[in-house]
Amino acid sequence: MESTQNQIYHDSAIKHVSGKSVYINDMDAGTQMLYGKVVYSPHAHAKILSFNIDKAKLVKGVHAVLSYKDIPGLNQMGPVIHDEPCLAEDKVNFIGQAIFLIAAETMEIAQKAEKLIEVEYEILKPILSIEKAIQYNQLLSTPRIIKRCNADEAMQKAKHRLSGMLKTGAQEHWYLETQTSLCVPGEMNEYMVYSSTQNPNETQAIVAEVLGIPRNEVVVEIRRMGGAFGGKETQGNHVAAWASLLSYHTRRPVKIHLFRDDDQIMTGKRHRFVSSYEIGFDDDGMITAYKAELNSDAGATADLSMAILERAVLHADNSYFIPNISIIGKAWKTNLPSNTAFRGFGGPQGIAVIENAIDRIARFLKKDALEIRYKNFYGINDRNTTHYDEVVENNRLYTIYDQLINSSEYLKRRKEIDDFNANNEFYKKGMALTPVKFGISFTTAFLNQAGALVNIYLDGTVLVNHGGTEMGQGLHTKMQQIAAIELGISPEFVKVNATNTSKVPNTSATAASSGTDMNGMAVKNAIDIIKERLLTVALSEFNQKTYPNPSEIKNIVFYNNVVFDKIHPDRIILFKELISKAYLQQVSLSSTGFYKTPNIYFDRETGKGHPFHYYAFGMAVSEVKVDTLTGQNEVLRTDILHDTGKSINEMIDIGQVEGAFVQGLGWVTTESIKWDKDGRLMNHSPDTYKIPTVNDIPADFRTALLKDAPNYNTIHKSKAVGEPPFILAFSVWLAIKDAISAVGNHQFEPDFELPATNEVILKSIEKIRLLSK
Amino acid sequence: MNNSDKICFVFDNQLTEIDFTKSEFRPSTTLLNYLRSLPTHKGVKEGCAEGDCGACTVVIAELNQQNQLEYKALDSCLVFLPMIHGKQIITIENLEQIVNKELKLHPVQQLMVENNGSQCGYCTPGIVMSLFALFKNHHQPEKEVIEDALTGNLCRCTGYKPIIEAAEKSCCNHGNDHFTEKQYEIIEMLLSINENKKSISLLHKEQEYFLPLNLKDALEFKKLYPNAVVISGATDTALRQTKKGEIIPQLIDLSQIEELKHFTKNNNSIEIGAGLTLEKAKNEVENIFPALFDILKVFGSLQIRNIATIGGNIGSASPIGDTLTFLFACKAFVKLQNLTSVRKVAIEDFIIGYRKTDTNADELITAVEIPLIPENVIIKSYKVSNRKDLDISTVSASFRLQLSNKNSVEEIIIAFGGMAAYTIRASKTVTYLIDKTWNRNTVEEAMEVLKTEFSPISDARAEKDYRAMAAANLLLKFWSEISLNQKD
Ligand SMILES: Cc1cc2nc3c(=O)[nH]c(=O)nc-3n(C[C@H](O)[C@H](O)[C@H](O)COP(=O)(O)OP(=O)(O)OC[C@H]3O[C@@H](n4cnc5c(N)ncnc54)[C@H](O)[C@@H]3O)c2cc1C
Ligand code: FES
Ligand code: FES
Repeated sequence: MESTQNQIYHDSAIKHVSGKSVYINDMDAGTQMLYGKVVYSPHAHAKILSFNIDKAKLVKGVHAVLSYKDIPGLNQMGPVIHDEPCLAEDKVNFIGQAIFLIAAETMEIAQKAEKLIEVEYEILKPILSIEKAIQYNQLLSTPRIIKRCNADEAMQKAKHRLSGMLKTGAQEHWYLETQTSLCVPGEMNEYMVYSSTQNPNETQAIVAEVLGIPRNEVVVEIRRMGGAFGGKETQGNHVAAWASLLSYHTRRPVKIHLFRDDDQIMTGKRHRFVSSYEIGFDDDGMITAYKAELNSDAGATADLSMAILERAVLHADNSYFIPNISIIGKAWKTNLPSNTAFRGFGGPQGIAVIENAIDRIARFLKKDALEIRYKNFYGINDRNTTHYDEVVENNRLYTIYDQLINSSEYLKRRKEIDDFNANNEFYKKGMALTPVKFGISFTTAFLNQAGALVNIYLDGTVLVNHGGTEMGQGLHTKMQQIAAIELGISPEFVKVNATNTSKVPNTSATAASSGTDMNGMAVKNAIDIIKERLLTVALSEFNQKTYPNPSEIKNIVFYNNVVFDKIHPDRIILFKELISKAYLQQVSLSSTGFYKTPNIYFDRETGKGHPFHYYAFGMAVSEVKVDTLTGQNEVLRTDILHDTGKSINEMIDIGQVEGAFVQGLGWVTTESIKWDKDGRLMNHSPDTYKIPTVNDIPADFRTALLKDAPNYNTIHKSKAVGEPPFILAFSVWLAIKDAISAVGNHQFEPDFELPATNEVILKSIEKIRLLSK
Repeated sequence: MNNSDKICFVFDNQLTEIDFTKSEFRPSTTLLNYLRSLPTHKGVKEGCAEGDCGACTVVIAELNQQNQLEYKALDSCLVFLPMIHGKQIITIENLEQIVNKELKLHPVQQLMVENNGSQCGYCTPGIVMSLFALFKNHHQPEKEVIEDALTGNLCRCTGYKPIIEAAEKSCCNHGNDHFTEKQYEIIEMLLSINENKKSISLLHKEQEYFLPLNLKDALEFKKLYPNAVVISGATDTALRQTKKGEIIPQLIDLSQIEELKHFTKNNNSIEIGAGLTLEKAKNEVENIFPALFDILKVFGSLQIRNIATIGGNIGSASPIGDTLTFLFACKAFVKLQNLTSVRKVAIEDFIIGYRKTDTNADELITAVEIPLIPENVIIKSYKVSNRKDLDISTVSASFRLQLSNKNSVEEIIIAFGGMAAYTIRASKTVTYLIDKTWNRNTVEEAMEVLKTEFSPISDARAEKDYRAMAAANLLLKFWSEISLNQKD
């Protein structure tokens, strides 16, 4: 029954391709609108001794120049902990920290005014690396620790042990639409804030706090974002707060649209990690013990760093059962912009460590890493509890593995690669298979709630509001499908509204890949409530002259734009007609819906619990070719098999898988970020920050979704898809390592880190060349 | 000079004029900012304002020498308004039609919808415009052509695959669409603009912008305004405005001068007009100078090559100017001209420092002359960059080799980009190699010399030791490719 509705296109596709989709920067708030500019710190760490903004205020066309003194409410915009001033007061903690705001009639005028602001700083020494932060004991919060059995003892007893250190780099979100917000003041304390935010509810809260007004005065709305990827989970709030402040003082609409370089300089990135590990195993490669310490660079404030660290710790096992394990996570404060959510939310950083360790085991034992991975997969009936005591249910690792090994012709290609490498000195090929097991849910249990508001109008059309935000992932399309299926009407009669805090309040961020799971259920809940009312109406219609065989509620079906009794198919009414009848009978055609994910709990003290509703699984095989004289490389082929349960929209899910994979590919290869010795971001524009282009994707790119894999207890038996496939890019990363290793005929462990830029690759190769001489 | 003072172009199928004396816009306003200032053309997006993302892609149709329309995708964030004088601008809003009151998408739009080619949609208008240019210029393009057309468009959501598929499925009508039906009307309009051969001076209170339509006027402007900044494609110069907020007070724009766009084959040399776009140059040199072709293939993106010129690449004298090492290896000459005389300078003498050239205040670069490569000479060029495409070189190199019949090195030129403040020859390494037997041993020894010959810098792109390593390895790569015939 769902199949007809399964293949609808993205609900904004036609608008996207014709330039009609409106992003906040395209909105016109009339001639009164002002442009907002954020003036930020040029120093990574400094005291503000004094400042003077008077001259800037005098520039013609400037309507406001604000400092922290002009904040009517709380000078705070930290999402979890209030440790992040909206505008710096007496100290700046990173380059890019907002100090002043300017509203002017044009951007050029604002820039002119900026030059007239005078600030006197006393420059302090910045902490710019995790190593330095550790040295100066800049721990952000209590470490997160999860342990099982006795890793130390098991390590001592292990036949073999390997230990090492792994660095994984930062990543810039590089959403195509930079952070944007437009605030339109209403009467007295009312503010309408259009904000490119994944978390309108929190944006509303922060705007209200900063302006010192109650939340019911602030409405936040977002039609769509031009990409977000976690970068607008908390940091979209900032721009909204700044625009609102300027609006408050000028009484005019104010728009802030960050210039690309400013966005890159001011906003946080994926956390870089420095991790140390030790792994114990036997001759067969069975892992007996694993110890890891994951150290993340939180940046200047807490933001979501602890939750991200927690997910890294929870994912340190990836897909492997490790009997004795000890994972410690520490987040460190540095003088860099506060790092934030980014697709995978720490999961990738935790997983990188174990995947690299397994790769080392394989080289050490002179086996294919594939074998080691397979041996250590979580079991189906035993060896199936994680280090935090959640049972890995409905484990699909084996099914996926078996299918992918065949479809990718792994074994045959492995031999071809060995032959190629034996015959080529200057080019080397490499291949790797890597799995992912990703836990779905917010690990902060109470966040697992969602709301919806469904309205049916008298022409039979439906308007769905829900708490999730659209950032390209197709959430609204899936909501449209779910509503259509539940009401038995064609999707074209369903429209999903812009997300708006006055329609659905107190929602969680659209994050943790859980947008469809949670909002889908909330939408269904709202529709169930309306349907119950409609059923009564239908029954009263059908049963007017049906005595002695009245229709029963359980037999009434909503399908194909009609409502009928499946036992007596002649008792039938058009959906639209039923709606009119309901109205005339004074029945409400609108309902809210609510959902909370059942059975989620996690005890941070003990590190045990059931933090995830279920797991998503996937695997990829990638083959690369490396030019060993320059380090340049290309991905020749990637095969992905990914589990999305019973997909609600296959095209959208494949899009998510491929898109996430390519984004991961960028992280593991070219997306290198450096700061200079003063803490200045060196790669602050696409000139030097390189995300994948069309030529960087695998030359042969095959993506499939696992068939016949319904998920239980989720909306329409589907699975979340946004983040997990990002992790499949490790197949490319480790394929590159495999190719490097081939330079020394796999006799030496290559130096390796992430991203594996040409530079990292070439240096590693040159070292192996020296060793093999 | 007999000047006119407005620019004129075809926009939304109508002749449109801008008189800068009356306009709120400065002449050097970018096409992107102009379009986005209009309520009707907000489909075009800004993603970077530096030519690196393609979100601002629009298509320009211009008359070629046969008075037919040529369609080119450009990054509107780098195009100054006067550069579109005499051309048609086509934006995302122009692609659809309303047929019987129904919205009818262009085939490239329709297939983007059907292939799920958009997710967040922010890159999509730019991508659709690149696909539109591809549609007009290619019938059933090969995958490589499709990828080249899309290299300049970054998408952070889709992973590109559905976009490639949309291109494959849509570009199959020999370029015929509703623009084909209207083409004669457009040609008429463009001819009417281009009838007027008077050079253009745009005098705005903050900026003087000169748009000569012939070389003589250009040289006159240059003599009158020796401090004016000269632009050809402006892909280098526009960044001063879009990234640094600089307002350049005087500009001389050479983009409309046909005389500078020649490609001439002489008996012993090829002459490329300074104003020839790199894309056109690329298509001309494929067989004559394969090494230059290799470099131009990975030069910027199609949108960049469609306006960037060879004159601009030489004129910017950037240490990572990608055509320069090749020109060094070919012993090319730069041709310069003022109102009274013409002179020729060897490329090596022309580049005199970091972004410094031997150009007099009253001179313009008119062409580069590249001697043909003798049969016994091998020339190869390489570009090493962090990302394969649309990236600036970390290191680039060109090698010229002539061996004696005893397999010893008779002549070798090694030129590097990215290793010093400007393009530079590896003269110590060359001295080492000369007269030696050309074999791996010699090459490896020469690599040791090469490693210490320069002191490159560490920057956002790479550390200095990587640069040194890669530079030395390129010599080995050159050796392996000609001696082992081993290329990937
Ligand atoms: C996104 C992007 C990617 C790029 N990729 C590459 C790349 O891969 N490789 C590379 O080498 N460069 C690259 N560049 C730099 C630039 O595009 C090239 O250097 C290009 O060749 C410049 O040509 P132009 O005509 O646009 O230059 P313009 O900006 O017009 O001119 C550049 C300089 O040359 C001078 N000049 C131009 N024409 C003349 C003339 N006739 N007489 C005297 N002086 C003149 C100008 O005064 C100016 O100083 C890139 C730039 C961008 C924005
Ligand atoms: S805005 Fe990015 S290329 Fe023009
Ligand atoms: S669809 Fe989002 S950047 Fe391309």
